[in-house]
Amino acid sequence: MSTLAGPLPPRRRGLLRRIADSDRPYQILTFVVFAVVWEVYARQWGGLLIPTFGETVAATFELLGDPELWHALYVSNQALAIGFGIAVVVGVPVGIVLGRFPTLERFSDVYLNILLVTPMAAIIPLLVMSVGFGLTSRVILVTVFSIVMVIVNSRTGVRGVDPGLIEMARSFGASERQIWREILLPGALPAIMTGIRLGLGRAVTGMVIVELLMVSVALGGLILEYRGLFMAPLLYGTIVIILAEALLLISVARWCERKLTPWARTNSAKDPR
Amino acid sequence: MIEISGLHKSFVGQDGSTVNALDDVNLTVNENEFLTVLGPSGCGKTTLLKAIAGLIGWDSGDIVIDGQPVRGPGPDRSMVFQNFALMPWATVLDNVAFGMRMRGVGKAEREERARTLIKTVGLSGFETKRPGELSGGMQQRVGIARALAVRPKVLLMDEPFGAVDEQTRRLLQEELLGIWEGQQLTVVFITHSMEEAVLLGDRVVLMSARPGRIAEIVPVPMARPRSHDIGAVGRSPEYVQITAYLWDRLRDMHEEHRDVRAGVTA
Repeated sequence: MSTLAGPLPPRRRGLLRRIADSDRPYQILTFVVFAVVWEVYARQWGGLLIPTFGETVAATFELLGDPELWHALYVSNQALAIGFGIAVVVGVPVGIVLGRFPTLERFSDVYLNILLVTPMAAIIPLLVMSVGFGLTSRVILVTVFSIVMVIVNSRTGVRGVDPGLIEMARSFGASERQIWREILLPGALPAIMTGIRLGLGRAVTGMVIVELLMVSVALGGLILEYRGLFMAPLLYGTIVIILAEALLLISVARWCERKLTPWARTNSAKDPR
Repeated sequence: MIEISGLHKSFVGQDGSTVNALDDVNLTVNENEFLTVLGPSGCGKTTLLKAIAGLIGWDSGDIVIDGQPVRGPGPDRSMVFQNFALMPWATVLDNVAFGMRMRGVGKAEREERARTLIKTVGLSGFETKRPGELSGGMQQRVGIARALAVRPKVLLMDEPFGAVDEQTRRLLQEELLGIWEGQQLTVVFITHSMEEAVLLGDRVVLMSARPGRIAEIVPVPMARPRSHDIGAVGRSPEYVQITAYLWDRLRDMHEEHRDVRAGVTA
Protein backbone atom coordinates (compact mmCIF):
# COMPACT_ATOMS: atom_id res chain seq x y z
CA MET A 1 0.00 0.00 0.00
CA SER A 2 1.07 3.53 -0.66
CA THR A 3 0.64 4.67 2.94
CA LEU A 4 3.40 2.43 4.26
CA ALA A 5 6.00 5.19 4.28
CA GLY A 6 5.67 8.72 5.59
CA PRO A 7 3.38 10.18 8.20
CA LEU A 8 -0.12 8.78 8.30
CA PRO A 9 -2.81 11.28 7.42
CA PRO A 10 -5.08 12.10 10.34
CA ARG A 11 -8.09 9.87 9.96
CA ARG A 12 -11.39 9.52 11.76
CA ARG A 13 -11.56 6.26 13.59
CA GLY A 14 -13.89 3.89 11.78
CA LEU A 15 -17.14 2.67 13.27
CA LEU A 16 -15.89 -0.91 13.68
CA ARG A 17 -12.75 0.31 15.40
CA ARG A 18 -14.74 2.37 17.87
CA ILE A 19 -17.05 -0.54 18.63
CA ALA A 20 -14.10 -2.86 19.20
CA ASP A 21 -12.46 -0.29 21.49
CA SER A 22 -15.43 0.23 23.78
CA ASP A 23 -16.31 -2.17 26.57
CA ARG A 24 -19.88 -2.71 25.45
CA PRO A 25 -19.44 -5.53 22.90
CA TYR A 26 -17.39 -7.59 25.33
CA GLN A 27 -19.99 -7.13 28.03
CA ILE A 28 -22.76 -8.16 25.65
CA LEU A 29 -20.78 -11.17 24.48
CA THR A 30 -20.14 -12.46 28.02
CA PHE A 31 -23.79 -11.96 28.82
CA VAL A 32 -24.92 -13.92 25.77
CA VAL A 33 -22.58 -16.80 26.64
CA PHE A 34 -23.85 -16.74 30.23
CA ALA A 35 -27.50 -16.77 29.11
CA VAL A 36 -26.96 -19.65 26.67
CA VAL A 37 -25.10 -21.80 29.21
CA TRP A 38 -27.83 -21.14 31.78
CA GLU A 39 -30.62 -22.02 29.34
CA VAL A 40 -28.92 -25.23 28.21
CA TYR A 41 -28.04 -26.32 31.73
CA ALA A 42 -31.54 -25.64 33.08
CA ARG A 43 -33.17 -27.53 30.20
CA GLN A 44 -30.88 -30.56 30.59
CA TRP A 45 -30.44 -30.88 34.32
CA GLY A 46 -32.70 -28.25 35.86
CA GLY A 47 -35.09 -29.24 38.60
CA LEU A 48 -37.80 -27.52 40.49
CA LEU A 49 -35.51 -24.79 41.80
CA ILE A 50 -33.57 -24.03 38.61
CA PRO A 51 -35.72 -22.23 36.04
CA THR A 52 -34.49 -21.62 32.52
CA PHE A 53 -33.14 -18.25 31.47
CA GLY A 54 -36.25 -17.58 29.41
CA GLU A 55 -38.58 -18.34 32.31
CA THR A 56 -36.59 -16.04 34.56
CA VAL A 57 -36.78 -13.17 32.08
CA ALA A 58 -40.52 -13.68 31.70
CA ALA A 59 -40.96 -13.79 35.49
CA THR A 60 -38.93 -10.60 35.87
CA PHE A 61 -41.28 -8.75 33.54
CA GLU A 62 -44.26 -10.24 35.30
CA LEU A 63 -42.91 -8.97 38.62
CA LEU A 64 -42.35 -5.49 37.22
CA GLY A 65 -46.11 -5.28 36.65
CA ASP A 66 -46.88 -6.43 40.18
CA PRO A 67 -47.66 -3.70 42.74
CA GLU A 68 -46.51 -6.03 45.51
CA LEU A 69 -42.97 -5.87 44.14
CA TRP A 70 -42.98 -2.08 43.97
CA HIS A 71 -44.18 -1.91 47.53
CA ALA A 72 -41.42 -4.30 48.59
CA LEU A 73 -38.85 -2.20 46.73
CA TYR A 74 -40.12 0.91 48.47
CA VAL A 75 -39.94 -0.67 51.94
CA SER A 76 -36.49 -2.14 51.39
CA ASN A 77 -35.09 1.08 49.98
CA GLN A 78 -36.29 3.04 52.97
CA ALA A 79 -33.81 1.10 55.08
CA LEU A 80 -31.17 1.48 52.38
CA ALA A 81 -31.59 5.23 52.01
CA ILE A 82 -31.63 5.98 55.74
CA GLY A 83 -28.92 3.47 56.64
CA PHE A 84 -26.56 4.47 53.86
CA GLY A 85 -27.27 8.14 54.46
CA ILE A 86 -26.13 7.69 58.07
CA ALA A 87 -23.06 5.75 56.90
CA VAL A 88 -22.00 8.66 54.67
CA VAL A 89 -22.87 11.47 57.07
CA VAL A 90 -21.04 9.76 59.96
CA GLY A 91 -18.38 7.79 58.07
CA VAL A 92 -16.85 10.59 56.03
CA PRO A 93 -16.09 12.93 58.97
CA VAL A 94 -14.90 10.01 61.13
CA GLY A 95 -12.57 8.81 58.36
CA ILE A 96 -11.22 12.31 57.78
CA VAL A 97 -10.50 12.88 61.47
CA LEU A 98 -8.81 9.49 61.77
CA GLY A 99 -6.65 10.26 58.75
CA ARG A 100 -5.54 13.61 60.10
CA PHE A 101 -4.81 12.48 63.68
CA PRO A 102 -2.80 9.24 63.68
CA THR A 103 -3.02 8.89 67.46
CA LEU A 104 -6.78 8.42 67.27
CA GLU A 105 -6.19 5.85 64.62
CA ARG A 106 -4.14 3.70 66.97
CA PHE A 107 -7.17 3.41 69.21
CA SER A 108 -9.65 2.78 66.44
CA ASP A 109 -7.71 0.59 64.03
CA VAL A 110 -8.51 -2.70 65.70
CA TYR A 111 -12.26 -1.94 65.77
CA LEU A 112 -12.27 -0.98 62.12
CA ASN A 113 -10.58 -4.25 61.27
CA ILE A 114 -13.14 -6.13 63.32
CA LEU A 115 -15.91 -4.33 61.45
CA LEU A 116 -14.25 -5.24 58.17
CA VAL A 117 -13.94 -8.97 58.82
CA THR A 118 -16.90 -9.79 61.07
CA PRO A 119 -19.44 -12.00 59.28
CA MET A 120 -22.29 -9.54 59.64
CA ALA A 121 -24.89 -12.26 59.43
CA ALA A 122 -23.72 -13.39 62.85
CA ILE A 123 -24.72 -10.16 64.55
CA ILE A 124 -28.19 -9.94 63.03
CA PRO A 125 -29.90 -12.07 65.74
CA LEU A 126 -28.30 -9.92 68.42
CA LEU A 127 -29.46 -6.78 66.68
CA VAL A 128 -33.00 -8.01 66.29
CA MET A 129 -33.11 -9.11 69.91
CA SER A 130 -32.07 -5.70 71.14
CA VAL A 131 -34.01 -3.37 68.82
CA GLY A 132 -36.75 -5.58 67.41
CA PHE A 133 -37.94 -6.41 63.92
CA GLY A 134 -38.71 -2.88 62.81
CA LEU A 135 -37.14 -0.43 60.43
CA THR A 136 -34.52 0.45 63.06
CA SER A 137 -32.74 -2.88 63.00
CA ARG A 138 -32.68 -2.89 59.19
CA VAL A 139 -31.29 0.65 59.10
CA ILE A 140 -28.62 -0.21 61.65
CA LEU A 141 -27.52 -3.24 59.68
CA VAL A 142 -27.26 -1.33 56.41
CA THR A 143 -25.18 1.30 58.22
CA VAL A 144 -22.89 -1.25 59.86
CA PHE A 145 -22.41 -3.03 56.55
CA SER A 146 -21.45 0.05 54.58
CA ILE A 147 -19.82 2.47 57.01
CA VAL A 148 -16.47 0.67 57.15
CA MET A 149 -15.82 1.21 53.44
CA VAL A 150 -16.66 4.89 53.79
CA ILE A 151 -14.46 5.37 56.87
CA VAL A 152 -11.47 3.43 55.59
CA ASN A 153 -11.43 5.16 52.20
CA SER A 154 -11.92 8.64 53.65
CA ARG A 155 -9.06 7.96 56.03
CA THR A 156 -6.82 6.77 53.21
CA GLY A 157 -7.79 9.83 51.18
CA VAL A 158 -6.77 12.31 53.86
CA ARG A 159 -3.59 10.43 54.60
CA GLY A 160 -2.73 10.36 50.91
CA VAL A 161 -2.80 14.15 50.55
CA ASP A 162 0.67 15.35 49.55
CA PRO A 163 2.32 16.90 52.64
CA GLY A 164 4.09 19.24 50.22
CA LEU A 165 0.72 20.84 49.45
CA ILE A 166 0.07 21.49 53.12
CA GLU A 167 3.51 23.06 53.44
CA MET A 168 2.82 25.16 50.35
CA ALA A 169 -0.47 26.43 51.77
CA ARG A 170 1.23 27.23 55.06
CA SER A 171 3.97 29.16 53.27
CA PHE A 172 1.28 31.44 51.85
CA GLY A 173 -0.06 32.01 55.35
CA ALA A 174 -3.03 29.61 55.25
CA SER A 175 -4.73 29.02 58.60
CA GLU A 176 -5.49 25.51 59.87
CA ARG A 177 -9.10 25.99 58.75
CA GLN A 178 -8.04 27.07 55.29
CA ILE A 179 -5.73 24.07 55.03
CA TRP A 180 -8.69 21.81 55.77
CA ARG A 181 -10.99 23.47 53.31
CA GLU A 182 -8.54 24.19 50.53
CA ILE A 183 -6.14 21.23 50.65
CA LEU A 184 -7.23 18.29 52.80
CA LEU A 185 -10.87 18.02 51.70
CA PRO A 186 -10.38 18.43 47.95
CA GLY A 187 -7.31 16.21 48.14
CA ALA A 188 -9.25 13.44 49.86
CA LEU A 189 -12.37 13.78 47.69
CA PRO A 190 -11.48 11.14 45.05
CA ALA A 191 -10.90 8.48 47.72
CA ILE A 192 -14.02 9.57 49.63
CA MET A 193 -16.10 9.15 46.47
CA THR A 194 -14.61 5.69 45.92
CA GLY A 195 -15.52 4.80 49.51
CA ILE A 196 -19.08 5.97 48.94
CA ARG A 197 -19.38 3.85 45.80
CA LEU A 198 -17.96 0.71 47.45
CA GLY A 199 -20.05 1.36 50.56
CA LEU A 200 -23.18 1.57 48.43
CA GLY A 201 -22.54 -1.94 47.12
CA ARG A 202 -22.21 -3.25 50.65
CA ALA A 203 -25.31 -1.34 51.74
CA VAL A 204 -27.44 -3.13 49.13
CA THR A 205 -26.05 -6.48 50.32
CA GLY A 206 -26.86 -5.54 53.90
CA MET A 207 -30.37 -4.50 52.98
CA VAL A 208 -31.17 -7.86 51.42
CA ILE A 209 -29.35 -10.02 53.98
CA VAL A 210 -31.14 -8.61 56.99
CA GLU A 211 -34.51 -9.17 55.35
CA LEU A 212 -33.59 -12.71 54.35
CA LEU A 213 -32.15 -13.85 57.61
CA MET A 214 -34.29 -12.28 60.22
CA VAL A 215 -36.81 -9.67 59.33
CA SER A 216 -38.90 -11.26 56.61
CA VAL A 217 -40.24 -8.18 54.97
CA ALA A 218 -40.03 -6.47 51.61
CA LEU A 219 -37.65 -7.87 48.99
CA GLY A 220 -36.07 -10.44 51.28
CA GLY A 221 -39.57 -11.49 52.37
CA LEU A 222 -40.61 -11.92 48.73
CA ILE A 223 -37.58 -14.11 48.07
CA LEU A 224 -38.42 -16.29 51.05
CA GLU A 225 -42.06 -16.49 50.05
CA TYR A 226 -41.29 -17.58 46.47
CA ARG A 227 -38.78 -20.08 47.76
CA GLY A 228 -41.33 -21.53 50.15
CA LEU A 229 -43.82 -21.91 47.30
CA PHE A 230 -41.20 -23.34 44.91
CA MET A 231 -41.85 -20.51 42.48
CA ALA A 232 -38.31 -20.52 41.15
CA PRO A 233 -38.73 -18.16 38.18
CA LEU A 234 -40.22 -15.47 40.42
CA LEU A 235 -37.52 -16.08 43.02
CA TYR A 236 -34.80 -15.50 40.45
CA GLY A 237 -36.72 -12.61 38.94
CA THR A 238 -36.66 -10.83 42.29
CA ILE A 239 -32.93 -11.35 42.52
CA VAL A 240 -32.50 -9.97 39.00
CA ILE A 241 -34.40 -6.85 40.01
CA ILE A 242 -32.25 -6.38 43.11
CA LEU A 243 -29.12 -6.81 40.97
CA ALA A 244 -30.42 -4.29 38.47
CA GLU A 245 -31.05 -1.78 41.22
CA ALA A 246 -27.57 -2.28 42.67
CA LEU A 247 -25.94 -1.84 39.26
CA LEU A 248 -27.99 1.28 38.61
CA LEU A 249 -27.05 2.81 41.97
CA ILE A 250 -23.36 2.04 41.49
CA SER A 251 -23.40 3.56 37.99
CA VAL A 252 -24.95 6.70 39.38
CA ALA A 253 -22.27 6.81 42.09
CA ARG A 254 -19.55 6.33 39.49
CA TRP A 255 -21.01 9.08 37.35
CA CYS A 256 -21.03 11.46 40.34
CA GLU A 257 -17.45 10.48 41.07
CA ARG A 258 -16.38 11.44 37.55
CA LYS A 259 -18.31 14.70 37.61
CA LEU A 260 -17.00 15.75 41.01
CA THR A 261 -13.37 14.67 40.66
CA PRO A 262 -12.40 14.91 37.00
CA TRP A 263 -8.74 15.59 37.83
CA ALA A 264 -8.39 12.19 39.47
CA ARG A 265 -8.85 10.56 36.08
CA THR A 266 -6.48 12.91 34.24
CA ASN A 267 -3.86 12.06 36.79
CA SER A 268 -4.20 8.31 36.77
CA ALA A 269 -4.25 8.20 33.00
CA LYS A 270 -0.93 10.04 32.78
CA ASP A 271 2.47 9.58 34.29
CA PRO A 272 2.65 12.17 37.08
CA ARG A 273 5.95 13.58 35.88
CA MET B 1 17.98 42.62 53.47
CA ILE B 2 18.05 39.26 55.22
CA GLU B 3 20.40 38.91 58.19
CA ILE B 4 21.01 35.44 59.54
CA SER B 5 23.20 35.13 62.60
CA GLY B 6 24.33 32.17 64.68
CA LEU B 7 21.64 29.88 63.32
CA HIS B 8 21.57 26.37 64.81
CA LYS B 9 19.15 23.61 64.00
CA SER B 10 19.46 19.97 64.94
CA PHE B 11 17.27 16.96 64.33
CA VAL B 12 17.10 13.70 66.21
CA GLY B 13 17.90 11.00 63.67
CA GLN B 14 16.18 7.66 63.40
CA ASP B 15 18.94 5.95 65.38
CA GLY B 16 18.49 8.46 68.21
CA SER B 17 21.66 10.41 67.44
CA THR B 18 21.59 14.17 66.96
CA VAL B 19 22.16 15.50 63.45
CA ASN B 20 23.35 19.10 63.16
CA ALA B 21 21.46 20.24 60.09
CA LEU B 22 22.62 23.83 60.54
CA ASP B 23 25.62 24.75 62.67
CA ASP B 24 26.39 28.43 63.34
CA VAL B 25 25.18 29.76 60.01
CA ASN B 26 25.87 33.48 59.48
CA LEU B 27 24.74 35.08 56.26
CA THR B 28 23.60 38.42 54.94
CA VAL B 29 21.53 38.56 51.76
CA ASN B 30 21.54 42.02 50.20
CA GLU B 31 18.53 43.91 48.87
CA ASN B 32 17.69 42.71 45.33
CA GLU B 33 20.51 40.20 45.35
CA PHE B 34 20.28 36.88 43.52
CA LEU B 35 21.92 34.49 45.97
CA THR B 36 22.45 30.85 45.11
CA VAL B 37 23.12 28.19 47.74
CA LEU B 38 25.10 25.15 46.62
CA GLY B 39 26.05 22.03 48.51
CA PRO B 40 25.94 18.25 48.60
CA SER B 41 22.65 16.61 49.47
CA GLY B 42 22.03 16.55 53.22
CA CYS B 43 23.99 19.76 53.84
CA GLY B 44 20.96 21.53 55.28
CA LYS B 45 20.37 23.95 52.42
CA THR B 46 16.65 23.18 52.24
CA THR B 47 16.46 23.45 56.05
CA LEU B 48 18.01 26.91 55.79
CA LEU B 49 15.48 27.96 53.16
CA LYS B 50 12.53 26.65 55.15
CA ALA B 51 13.79 28.50 58.21
CA ILE B 52 13.87 31.75 56.22
CA ALA B 53 10.37 30.94 54.94
CA GLY B 54 9.20 30.57 58.54
CA LEU B 55 8.00 27.02 57.89
CA ILE B 56 10.22 25.42 60.54
CA GLY B 57 11.64 26.57 63.85
CA TRP B 58 15.27 26.51 64.92
CA ASP B 59 17.24 25.97 68.13
CA SER B 60 19.12 29.24 68.43
CA GLY B 61 20.14 32.26 66.40
CA ASP B 62 18.19 34.92 64.52
CA ILE B 63 16.75 35.55 61.10
CA VAL B 64 15.87 39.20 60.55
CA ILE B 65 14.32 40.57 57.36
CA ASP B 66 14.37 44.36 56.98
CA GLY B 67 14.57 44.73 60.75
CA GLN B 68 11.71 42.29 61.43
CA PRO B 69 12.60 38.98 63.10
CA VAL B 70 11.10 35.96 61.33
CA ARG B 71 8.41 34.26 63.45
CA GLY B 72 6.53 32.39 60.74
CA PRO B 73 5.46 32.71 57.13
CA GLY B 74 4.92 36.31 56.11
CA PRO B 75 3.64 38.36 53.18
CA ASP B 76 7.15 39.61 52.40
CA ARG B 77 8.26 36.11 51.32
CA SER B 78 6.99 33.44 48.98
CA MET B 79 8.32 30.09 47.97
CA VAL B 80 8.78 27.96 44.84
CA PHE B 81 8.95 24.22 45.47
CA GLN B 82 11.03 21.48 43.91
CA ASN B 83 8.00 19.27 43.30
CA PHE B 84 5.90 22.24 42.13
CA ALA B 85 3.32 21.67 44.91
CA LEU B 86 0.37 22.45 42.65
CA MET B 87 -3.17 21.48 43.56
CA PRO B 88 -4.15 18.83 41.00
CA TRP B 89 -7.85 19.68 41.29
CA ALA B 90 -7.43 23.37 40.56
CA THR B 91 -6.94 25.07 37.19
CA VAL B 92 -3.79 26.99 36.31
CA LEU B 93 -5.64 30.22 37.06
CA ASP B 94 -6.80 29.03 40.49
CA ASN B 95 -3.36 27.68 41.33
CA VAL B 96 -1.71 30.98 40.46
CA ALA B 97 -4.35 32.89 42.45
CA PHE B 98 -4.09 30.57 45.48
CA GLY B 99 -1.43 32.53 47.38
CA MET B 100 -3.29 35.80 46.83
CA ARG B 101 -6.51 34.18 48.04
CA MET B 102 -4.84 32.96 51.23
CA ARG B 103 -3.65 36.51 51.80
CA GLY B 104 -7.09 38.01 51.33
CA VAL B 105 -6.73 39.68 47.94
CA GLY B 106 -10.15 40.41 46.41
CA LYS B 107 -11.51 38.25 43.59
CA ALA B 108 -11.35 40.78 40.76
CA GLU B 109 -7.82 41.91 41.56
CA ARG B 110 -6.74 38.33 42.10
CA GLU B 111 -7.95 37.22 38.71
CA GLU B 112 -6.48 40.16 36.86
CA ARG B 113 -3.09 39.77 38.47
CA ALA B 114 -3.13 35.99 37.96
CA ARG B 115 -3.77 36.50 34.24
CA THR B 116 -0.94 39.01 34.01
CA LEU B 117 1.48 36.60 35.66
CA ILE B 118 0.33 33.65 33.58
CA LYS B 119 1.26 35.80 30.60
CA THR B 120 4.61 36.71 32.15
CA VAL B 121 5.57 33.05 32.52
CA GLY B 122 4.36 32.26 29.00
CA LEU B 123 1.29 30.17 29.83
CA SER B 124 -1.41 32.27 28.15
CA GLY B 125 -4.14 30.01 26.82
CA PHE B 126 -3.58 27.42 29.57
CA GLU B 127 -5.62 29.23 32.25
CA THR B 128 -8.29 26.55 32.48
CA LYS B 129 -6.00 23.52 32.23
CA ARG B 130 -5.21 21.40 35.27
CA PRO B 131 -1.64 20.55 36.36
CA GLY B 132 -2.05 16.94 35.22
CA GLU B 133 -2.35 18.21 31.64
CA LEU B 134 0.91 20.19 31.77
CA SER B 135 4.55 19.18 31.39
CA GLY B 136 6.94 19.52 34.33
CA GLY B 137 8.41 22.75 32.98
CA MET B 138 4.96 24.27 32.54
CA GLN B 139 3.97 23.18 36.03
CA GLN B 140 6.94 24.99 37.52
CA ARG B 141 6.02 28.11 35.53
CA VAL B 142 2.70 27.96 37.39
CA GLY B 143 4.61 27.61 40.67
CA ILE B 144 6.73 30.66 39.85
CA ALA B 145 3.70 32.71 38.80
CA ARG B 146 1.93 31.79 42.06
CA ALA B 147 4.92 32.89 44.12
CA LEU B 148 5.36 36.18 42.22
CA ALA B 149 1.64 36.95 42.35
CA VAL B 150 1.77 37.89 46.03
CA ARG B 151 4.38 40.60 45.27
CA PRO B 152 7.06 39.26 47.62
CA LYS B 153 10.21 41.14 48.53
CA VAL B 154 12.03 37.82 48.86
CA LEU B 155 11.55 34.84 46.56
CA LEU B 156 12.69 31.55 48.09
CA MET B 157 13.37 28.81 45.57
CA ASP B 158 14.06 25.22 46.63
CA GLU B 159 15.80 23.44 43.73
CA PRO B 160 13.01 24.68 41.48
CA PHE B 161 14.45 23.26 38.27
CA GLY B 162 15.72 19.98 39.72
CA ALA B 163 12.79 17.97 38.37
CA VAL B 164 12.75 19.19 34.76
CA ASP B 165 14.80 18.13 31.75
CA GLU B 166 17.96 19.93 30.65
CA GLN B 167 16.56 22.05 27.80
CA THR B 168 13.55 23.15 29.83
CA ARG B 169 15.87 23.97 32.69
CA ARG B 170 17.90 26.30 30.44
CA LEU B 171 14.79 28.08 29.22
CA LEU B 172 13.42 28.47 32.74
CA GLN B 173 16.75 29.83 33.98
CA GLU B 174 16.75 32.46 31.25
CA GLU B 175 13.18 33.44 31.91
CA LEU B 176 13.69 33.61 35.65
CA LEU B 177 16.68 35.92 35.15
CA GLY B 178 14.58 38.04 32.77
CA ILE B 179 11.80 38.37 35.35
CA TRP B 180 14.22 39.14 38.18
CA GLU B 181 16.14 41.75 36.16
CA GLY B 182 12.87 43.58 35.49
CA GLN B 183 11.88 44.11 39.12
CA GLN B 184 12.92 44.73 42.70
CA LEU B 185 13.29 41.24 44.11
CA THR B 186 15.67 39.39 46.39
CA VAL B 187 16.10 35.73 45.45
CA VAL B 188 17.50 32.90 47.54
CA PHE B 189 17.94 29.96 45.19
CA ILE B 190 18.88 26.47 46.38
CA THR B 191 20.50 24.15 43.87
CA HIS B 192 22.76 21.14 43.65
CA SER B 193 24.06 22.19 40.23
CA MET B 194 27.33 24.16 40.14
CA GLU B 195 26.53 25.43 36.65
CA GLU B 196 23.15 26.74 37.72
CA ALA B 197 24.56 28.36 40.86
CA VAL B 198 27.14 30.31 38.84
CA LEU B 199 24.91 31.19 35.87
CA LEU B 200 22.22 32.70 38.04
CA GLY B 201 23.88 34.01 41.18
CA ASP B 202 25.51 37.26 42.28
CA ARG B 203 27.19 35.16 44.94
CA VAL B 204 27.32 31.42 45.52
CA VAL B 205 27.04 30.20 49.10
CA LEU B 206 28.87 26.91 49.33
CA MET B 207 27.66 24.68 52.15
CA SER B 208 29.28 21.61 53.68
CA ALA B 209 27.40 18.67 55.12
CA ARG B 210 27.20 17.20 58.65
CA PRO B 211 27.27 19.60 60.29
CA GLY B 212 25.62 21.96 57.81
CA ARG B 213 27.90 24.97 57.67
CA ILE B 214 28.73 27.73 55.24
CA ALA B 215 32.10 26.70 53.84
CA GLU B 216 32.66 29.70 51.64
CA ILE B 217 30.88 32.50 49.84
CA VAL B 218 32.09 32.89 46.25
CA PRO B 219 31.32 36.13 44.39
CA VAL B 220 30.28 35.80 40.76
CA PRO B 221 31.48 38.93 38.93
CA MET B 222 29.93 38.27 35.52
CA ALA B 223 28.06 41.26 34.11
CA ARG B 224 24.31 41.73 34.29
CA PRO B 225 21.92 41.41 32.56
CA ARG B 226 22.68 37.82 31.70
CA SER B 227 19.24 36.71 30.59
CA HIS B 228 19.54 37.72 26.92
CA ASP B 229 22.23 35.11 26.22
CA ILE B 230 22.76 32.66 29.02
CA GLY B 231 24.76 30.46 26.62
CA ALA B 232 27.41 33.17 26.15
CA VAL B 233 27.63 33.59 29.93
CA GLY B 234 28.25 29.86 30.15
CA ARG B 235 31.25 30.18 27.79
CA SER B 236 32.89 33.17 29.48
CA PRO B 237 36.31 32.69 31.13
CA GLU B 238 35.01 33.81 34.54
CA TYR B 239 32.27 31.21 34.41
CA VAL B 240 34.71 28.44 33.55
CA GLN B 241 37.08 29.53 36.28
CA ILE B 242 34.45 29.78 39.02
CA THR B 243 32.80 26.45 38.23
CA ALA B 244 36.24 24.79 38.19
CA TYR B 245 36.98 26.29 41.58
CA LEU B 246 33.63 25.19 43.02
CA TRP B 247 34.21 21.69 41.73
CA ASP B 248 37.62 21.55 43.47
CA ARG B 249 36.05 22.64 46.73
CA LEU B 250 33.17 20.17 46.47
CA ARG B 251 35.58 17.34 45.70
CA ASP B 252 37.75 18.27 48.70
CA MET B 253 34.67 18.25 50.92
CA HIS B 254 33.69 14.87 49.60
CA GLU B 255 37.15 13.47 50.32
CA GLU B 256 37.29 14.96 53.80
CA HIS B 257 33.94 13.43 54.47
CA ARG B 258 35.14 10.05 53.21
CA ASP B 259 38.30 10.29 55.34
CA VAL B 260 36.21 11.07 58.40
CA ARG B 261 34.04 8.07 57.76
CA ALA B 262 37.08 5.85 57.06
CA GLY B 263 38.64 7.10 60.34
CA VAL B 264 35.54 6.09 62.22
CA THR B 265 35.48 2.60 60.82
CA ALA B 266 39.27 2.01 61.09
